[in-house]
Amino acid sequence: MPSEHPSVDVRGPRFAAWVTSAVLAVALLLGAGWLVAAQAVVFAIGAFAGMRRAPYAVAFRVLFAPRLRPGREREPEAPLRFAQLVGLVFALTGAAGYLLGVPVLGAVATGLALVAALLNAATGFCLGCELHLLLRRALPARTA
Amino acid sequence: MGGAAAVLLPTMDTTGIAALAIALLATAALAWWLRARSGALRRAGAEQEVGMDEAAVLAGLGVHPAEADLTVVQFSTAFCAPCRATRARLLQLQRTRPGLAYVHVDAESHLDAVRALDVRRTPTLLYLDRTGRLIGRSSGAPRPEELTAVVAAHTEARTEARTEARE
Repeated sequence: MPSEHPSVDVRGPRFAAWVTSAVLAVALLLGAGWLVAAQAVVFAIGAFAGMRRAPYAVAFRVLFAPRLRPGREREPEAPLRFAQLVGLVFALTGAAGYLLGVPVLGAVATGLALVAALLNAATGFCLGCELHLLLRRALPARTA
Repeated sequence: MGGAAAVLLPTMDTTGIAALAIALLATAALAWWLRARSGALRRAGAEQEVGMDEAAVLAGLGVHPAEADLTVVQFSTAFCAPCRATRARLLQLQRTRPGLAYVHVDAESHLDAVRALDVRRTPTLLYLDRTGRLIGRSSGAPRPEELTAVVAAHTEARTEARTEARE
């Protein structure tokens, strides 16, 4: 069962969402494309290698989890990974905007990623996850 | 802190400051909307009567309202954490409410139904009475007390399990 539906301590992703929000906010303030690119790498690790290997989740496990009581609430990993993938698309767009000399595109894409991360951190709501069904709905019918 | 700001200020990006302010306002607005509306039960008016087309779509999903006092149809996706909690809650309610029928639909493998019934988010719940009339619907994680109240209002508690039902 755990291998089929991997799950993580719910506090890890919430911590990661706060760190992501802080990184993206600083990146916006400085107009720093390299920082958005670094965040894109973090998103990519979470999306492709899994949440357990994502840098902020590792930081949570090493620095905070040992000091906290064992978490009883766990959540499935699949939605989180999909959301990281959505974050990756926005972060890549943002980094490309800044680094290729289109700062407005950089600021807009980074700002959208920040909204999703901050909303997730503050309320636990997963904006990236919501996009999944809307995309599937909008795409032409496939023989599934 | 003041020193750091003085060092950082010249390098700050005005577009970025504006984008940050807009992002913070947008987040606050979305959080407010989620608190106020997401998952709230919207009672169906007469104009939201289930039409022939919708009834046929529902029948195609294995929904047979005539067989239960209340039928709850839940649309879920794999990438939806609150869907699992909602499903668990409904299965739990079913144990004490024999008149409750529960149909779980994987939205991604029934996209035509998703479009026909205008399901935009998951979990979306449709509440149907025995005549097939739509009592109401909710989209987003339902409020537990509202979900329990609708089920309680339309179904009888199992008599021998009444004490358990009050837990």
